[in-house]
Amino acid sequence: MRTFPLRIGTPDGLLYEGEVERVICRTMTGDLAVLAGHCNFCTALGMGEAAVVLEDGTRKKAACIGGMLSMMDGVCRLLATTWEWEEDIDVARAKAAQKRAEEKLSASGLSEKEYRMVEAKLHRALVRIGVKG
Amino acid sequence: MAANMKAVKLRIKSVQSTMQITKAMELVASSKLRKAKERAETCRPYFKELHQTLKDIAAGNTDFTSVYVKEAASDKTCYVVVAGDRGLAGGYNANLFKCLEADSAGKDFLVLPIGKKAVEYAHRKGYECLTEEFAEVAEISVADCYEMANLLCEEFRKGTFGHIDLCYTTFVSMLSQQPGVISALPIVDLKEDSQEEKAVRNLILYEPDAAEVFDAIVPEYLGGLIYGSVCESLASELAARRMAMEAATSNAEEMIGKLNLYYNRARQASITQEITEIVAGAEGI
Repeated sequence: MRTFPLRIGTPDGLLYEGEVERVICRTMTGDLAVLAGHCNFCTALGMGEAAVVLEDGTRKKAACIGGMLSMMDGVCRLLATTWEWEEDIDVARAKAAQKRAEEKLSASGLSEKEYRMVEAKLHRALVRIGVKG
Repeated sequence: MAANMKAVKLRIKSVQSTMQITKAMELVASSKLRKAKERAETCRPYFKELHQTLKDIAAGNTDFTSVYVKEAASDKTCYVVVAGDRGLAGGYNANLFKCLEADSAGKDFLVLPIGKKAVEYAHRKGYECLTEEFAEVAEISVADCYEMANLLCEEFRKGTFGHIDLCYTTFVSMLSQQPGVISALPIVDLKEDSQEEKAVRNLILYEPDAAEVFDAIVPEYLGGLIYGSVCESLASELAARRMAMEAATSNAEEMIGKLNLYYNRARQASITQEITEIVAGAEGI
């Protein structure tokens, strides 16, 4: 299958650079897969499971949270706020975060901003657990 | 003569204690610098990709429905100024402010200072500040950057200002740091002049539509950009401080050498004088 260059960047560094067959990720409107030869394209990413199919056909899963995906002149750039490969995810930590967030959400007296933050935390934890599980 | 000798001795002592301080500061800066440099280097590719992507989009964009994209209604500029928390870093802060002054000359603007020195500077100059919440540049996390970005976006949408520029110091190497100003918003500002004449434009597909995509992307883009510039500035500050302290230490060493020489000379002169006096006295008897 044809491949195309992909670069995955996060504030923690450039996590991947190389040729891939396919990128699958969750955008704000739903899951999306990009193949080689895609027209120039730009979208915002949501929170969810993402996967990259490498040149040799292996599929690598990752948790992808926020950011943008752009395809310009055949080069795909995926700039995520957080991108964690499946093997890097710490399930125990994610579960602890989920528990904490759930406890906080069930307790009352949160301001709207706090509520949103805790909710986002819970969402992130759930994505991580979902990718690993 | 004896009084002079005492003064020189005191001076040597004071220079020595100053040297001790500069030496300690140099060591602290270089140990912190290693970490900061690593952070700047891991963040740099993201920063570059981010800026490049948005530049590419600016070059090919034909859709001006989003408020973040179109030509600004207001001429006011908001400068995000990333300076240091402390002085004694050579020309680090001064160079940045000079750069800011050169860029902002004749413009109507306000600032968002990051770092204690930037806050002080804005106060001294009487510039309008958006917020002074982020006074400690060393303690700024990714979350703070996103918070700042959200605040900026909110004000931008309200039309408080029409441009957002980032003023920070790029970490080129251990020996060289380059202050500069880059445009961040609106997206049309990112367009380089050379690209403007290009007749063929790359059309870009936005999903679900341009306005929604930009509304979602821009705060993150801005947050990433601010985080990148904070990392770069922090590394630059420490590198500048290390350099300045190294120079101060070697200056102190040189000074001590000179003073020692002077002291020894004075000591010798006083001994010679004493001998002459004794000999003269003995002859008189």
